[in-house]
Amino acid sequence: MKVLVVEDSSSMRAYLTTIIEGGTESFDLEIVEAASGFEALKTLPHHKFDAILTDINMPDINGLELVSFLKNHPVHRAIPIMVISTESREEDRKRAEALGAEEYLVKPFQAQDLIEKLRRLLKVA
Amino acid sequence: MTKEDDRARDEFTSEAEELLETLSRDLVEFESQGRDVRPEVVNKIFREVHSLKGLAGMLGFGEISELSHSLEDMLDRLRMGKIEITKELIDLLYDAVDSLNRLVIGINDPAMGGLVDITGLTRRIHQLATNQPHRTNEDPFADLTLDEQTKKSLTEYEEHRLLENVRTRNHILAVEVRFDFADFDERLRALTETLSKAGEVISTLPAIDGSGGTGIAFRLLYGSMLGEEAVALLVPAGQVLSLRKHEVPAAGASEVTAAEAPEEDRSLRSISQTVRVDISKLDHVMNIVGELIIEKTQLDSLTRSLHQGEALQQARVTAHELTKIARNLERKLNELQRSVIETRMVPVGQIYSKLSRTVRKVARELNKEIELVLRGEDTELDKVMVEELTDPLMHIIRNALDHGIEPAEERVSQGKNPIGKVTLTAYQQGNSVVLDVTDDGRGIDLDVVRKAAVKRNLIAQHEPFDQRRAYETLFTPGFSTAAVVTEISGRGVGLDVVKRNLQELKGSIDILSVPGEGTTFRIMLPITLAIIQALIVRAAGEQFAIPLTSVEESLRIYSRDIRTVERREVFTLRDFTLPLLRLSDAFHLDSDRDESPDAKWFVVVTRSGEKVAGILVDALVRQQEVVIKSIGERLKTIPGIAGATEVGEGEIVLVIDVGTLIEQFGGKAREARAGVLV
Repeated sequence: MKVLVVEDSSSMRAYLTTIIEGGTESFDLEIVEAASGFEALKTLPHHKFDAILTDINMPDINGLELVSFLKNHPVHRAIPIMVISTESREEDRKRAEALGAEEYLVKPFQAQDLIEKLRRLLKVA
Repeated sequence: MTKEDDRARDEFTSEAEELLETLSRDLVEFESQGRDVRPEVVNKIFREVHSLKGLAGMLGFGEISELSHSLEDMLDRLRMGKIEITKELIDLLYDAVDSLNRLVIGINDPAMGGLVDITGLTRRIHQLATNQPHRTNEDPFADLTLDEQTKKSLTEYEEHRLLENVRTRNHILAVEVRFDFADFDERLRALTETLSKAGEVISTLPAIDGSGGTGIAFRLLYGSMLGEEAVALLVPAGQVLSLRKHEVPAAGASEVTAAEAPEEDRSLRSISQTVRVDISKLDHVMNIVGELIIEKTQLDSLTRSLHQGEALQQARVTAHELTKIARNLERKLNELQRSVIETRMVPVGQIYSKLSRTVRKVARELNKEIELVLRGEDTELDKVMVEELTDPLMHIIRNALDHGIEPAEERVSQGKNPIGKVTLTAYQQGNSVVLDVTDDGRGIDLDVVRKAAVKRNLIAQHEPFDQRRAYETLFTPGFSTAAVVTEISGRGVGLDVVKRNLQELKGSIDILSVPGEGTTFRIMLPITLAIIQALIVRAAGEQFAIPLTSVEESLRIYSRDIRTVERREVFTLRDFTLPLLRLSDAFHLDSDRDESPDAKWFVVVTRSGEKVAGILVDALVRQQEVVIKSIGERLKTIPGIAGATEVGEGEIVLVIDVGTLIEQFGGKAREARAGVLV
């Protein structure tokens, strides 16, 4: 299985990757990283993703715009999305929901939360 | 602590240090733009603090997280227009960033972190943030035809920016573009940069390429003082749609036609608000500022050397304090510099009345009916520059009336308004002032230029001749297309003199022309000549300063990337062949450089007008403010040198004049990213 992690902060990205790798050892999971919405768009045609995790607050195109694009795409709309936002950005979280994102995770989060939600997205028990 | 935690902590510390560094620089920019700060700058600062908070929260750095959290809240209110920009606010931002800096250093060096009064700071932040509530509940979409999908994809902040643009009576436009998948990011960034000069890109929504191609489409929401048609010129390959249900007259540029310029009003105002100052006195103050900047530079280099000798903890604390002093000194200097520069600045409108008188006179002589539109008369420029500008402007306007605007009957037969229109637009762009002289005349006919150039032996009969070459020819000494030198523009002075005059002012001139539709002469000038931002580089063992306004980007390459084409060194920069030049060749310096394929170089990509060239250097040293001093008569004749400057510790370096350097050693025209009509 393959997961795309879209996050502009390199240390946050590394942190997310570490947690995901640690929590999904029981099944075969490949993580692809994108440091911006642009990079995410560029990566999409080259992989078949089973889930996408994205931050909201990013330069160029933000997470909401990315979700909007994906959820209107004839092929990519089927990929489940987890939006990772901060507690102070409640309003943006609601908007992600309206656009069709499947899961939300609020920073700061517990590693266990991330893994549980990811498993739900990937439909692995 | 586990190994992962350690790694995460190290990564956090280095990213946090980087973020704070950027944040400090952005704050200086914020302060220098004052109350008219561009929303992008505030939003960038917000995002940086937001990222910092997110990181600190995840890794359990409670104090950093707490402080950045309240700072983020305040910045959020600021970017949403809920609090005002005051001196108090800016001071608080500086203090907060300084404290965050200490806390981050404190992760590895607890002595530093302990000095921060978080409670006091958060209290100040809280007071400021809750001070001025002014909440509006306007619906930004009320007067817009905006599709559901775009509406839903806006963040709260973007929605606020849309409302602000609606309020300032800007045009609200949808710009739809399609790019190839291979380079859409670069092209979209370039487009955004272009559009940002005349407005604000509020949101960028990617979409599927509807044409069935392999590209990707984007729908940009754009607020601008430019209307649908003007923006369409900036985005030739895209579609521009106005989203307003009712058109509002643009509030941005004020239009004053020559006939109705309220001269009385203006002179009344100048009596009450102007103080006459002998310019030599201002020069003296400016010199003092220059010397202060040199002092500050020395302080900086002292700090740097302390940072490097980081063996002692005490040294780090001292270095930190020194950095703070240097930053405060810099703020004060910026303030002083700005106010001195401001006293030297006068609105270009001062010469507008002179220009409109000339236009009326010349139009009568030529028996043409002309409407002169003057825009941006409040744009300010150094007093000395404004005076030096009168003659070149007059010349270009004469040219437009004489050669550009067709006789009335010819205009009518082409379906144009019999009254010719010449527009002079002045506006500020970064640290430059742009003056556009646009006519709606016949445009530049390449064939006419070619024939005239052949006749005057400026080019050979069958020499290849394109638009670029044609425009260059127009600026060649001795060139004129007029069959008979007319009374009006043929006074023995050609466009070559105009170009030379502008170059002496460190400016440039470009032509944008569409046959049958008109021509724009675009003059770009630095706001002032005395102090500039420069990139200090090293080549052939010497340091040089390259004015930052001429620098597009810099990159690292290897010797093997350098190719030779037609005996010139070039480098392929994305899809563009960039001619390279070496400072050691230009200034005849000995260089015993490593030329093996793996040897590293830096290329500083420079631009003068529409010409681009890469300067090959050994190292990029740093970026700093320099005070240009003129150099002796003997060196003045060497092309490529603008002057000299002192960069701390009494070291003198030469300041490169990119314009004459490229001209002398060759550059290549590249389609400017922005505003090219050709």
